[in-house]
Amino acid sequence: MDLLLDFASSFFTQLRSPTLAFLIGGALLAALGSKLTVPDAIYQFIIFMLLMRIGLHGGMEIRDADLTALALPALMAALTGIICVLLGWATLARLPGIRFDDAIATSGLFGAVSASTLAAALVVMEQEALIYEAWAPALYPFMDIPALVLAIVLASLHAQKRRVAEGGDVGERPKVGVWKIIKDSLRGAALSALLLGIAIGLFAEPGRVYEEFYNPLFRGFLSILLMIMGMEAYSRLAELRGVAHWFAVYALLAPIAHGLIGFGLGYIAHITVGFSPGGVVILAIIAASNSDISGPPTLRAGIPSANPASFIGSSTSIGTPIAIAVCIPLFLALGEMVFGT
Amino acid sequence: MFSNATKLTVIAERLLQERIIEMLYAGGAKGHTVFDGSGKGEHSNRRGDRAAVIHDFTIVQLDVVFGNSDEARKVAEDIADTLFVDYAGIVYLTPVEIIRAKRF
Repeated sequence: MDLLLDFASSFFTQLRSPTLAFLIGGALLAALGSKLTVPDAIYQFIIFMLLMRIGLHGGMEIRDADLTALALPALMAALTGIICVLLGWATLARLPGIRFDDAIATSGLFGAVSASTLAAALVVMEQEALIYEAWAPALYPFMDIPALVLAIVLASLHAQKRRVAEGGDVGERPKVGVWKIIKDSLRGAALSALLLGIAIGLFAEPGRVYEEFYNPLFRGFLSILLMIMGMEAYSRLAELRGVAHWFAVYALLAPIAHGLIGFGLGYIAHITVGFSPGGVVILAIIAASNSDISGPPTLRAGIPSANPASFIGSSTSIGTPIAIAVCIPLFLALGEMVFGT
Repeated sequence: MFSNATKLTVIAERLLQERIIEMLYAGGAKGHTVFDGSGKGEHSNRRGDRAAVIHDFTIVQLDVVFGNSDEARKVAEDIADTLFVDYAGIVYLTPVEIIRAKRF
């Protein structure tokens, strides 16, 4: 009972974080039809700033880290991404009135990772002085890319089966440009900035520019980003009204389920190779997150027949707020409970 | 001084820009112009005044002037048949008068 009370109290403490206030504030502004807008260029720049800061921090710390310890958590991250997509394939895609392509694209997006959720989680964790491996944020692509690739592969196999079922010829095996998907993902704005930051942190001495520029501005920029996310969430709600209600249900539950899968696999890595409690929490939170910048265009190009209103509507309007508002405090509290930190 | 030509205009998501440009040049275009856009269509309202969380879903307008109207027609049909089955977008032709016809 005490455990539950502790859990509840730490959960509610997190709920009062400024992170969430800005997210809800943005949604409120949009709901009230406010004329306040953040220009596109500023948004693009904020994404760069946040990921560069996370990358620099990681890169500078990685120097003294033992990178062999990354192998198992990276494998767990990839497994999490794959399991999330398969879970959607086994549940959402089987529901009545749901088109297969829409379901798979949605699962792919929910299996992929959100840079903004990751940034928000790191701010809270640094506040709580929760220790995590410097390379933990670099688990992002290990989860993101397999999820997107698997979703696109499943969709093209399904399309081929459908053609055969309709009496068409088998045709050529559908060619999924896996390498192209990987290239596109790595070239995405968020991942490029993260990887460049890691490289600069690793090979140069960016200590001062990090201390004087990137780090002090991190929280402020994050708050603006969350406000934009809130506005976007509200404006995409309208799109969601046009698609099956199951998408809304999936978007509510999937982040929590995926986070638990990530937490469980992270815990296995914790027991076997000593993956840190903070790292397990990061793995759970990126599993709970859903891609909001690079994933949607990748899926839109890879599964053209999927209706973007279904997968982007459910992820942006419900998935992202749930990941930030519910999953960050939830998995921090769970981490506290399990590891007693 | 002036000679007749055909302007092909494609309005689509930025996501398709590269593929459209490839098709235009394969169909005989000698140059192109891209404009950023915003607006409202059958699919959705695309506002241009606020942050587009997904940059690739903002719209662009591509203009190409073809000296040969048959070429323009063929490319327009190709683009409509291959891309605008699954994606939002419009494509149209306008008769125009050009100077320096050799360039088109």
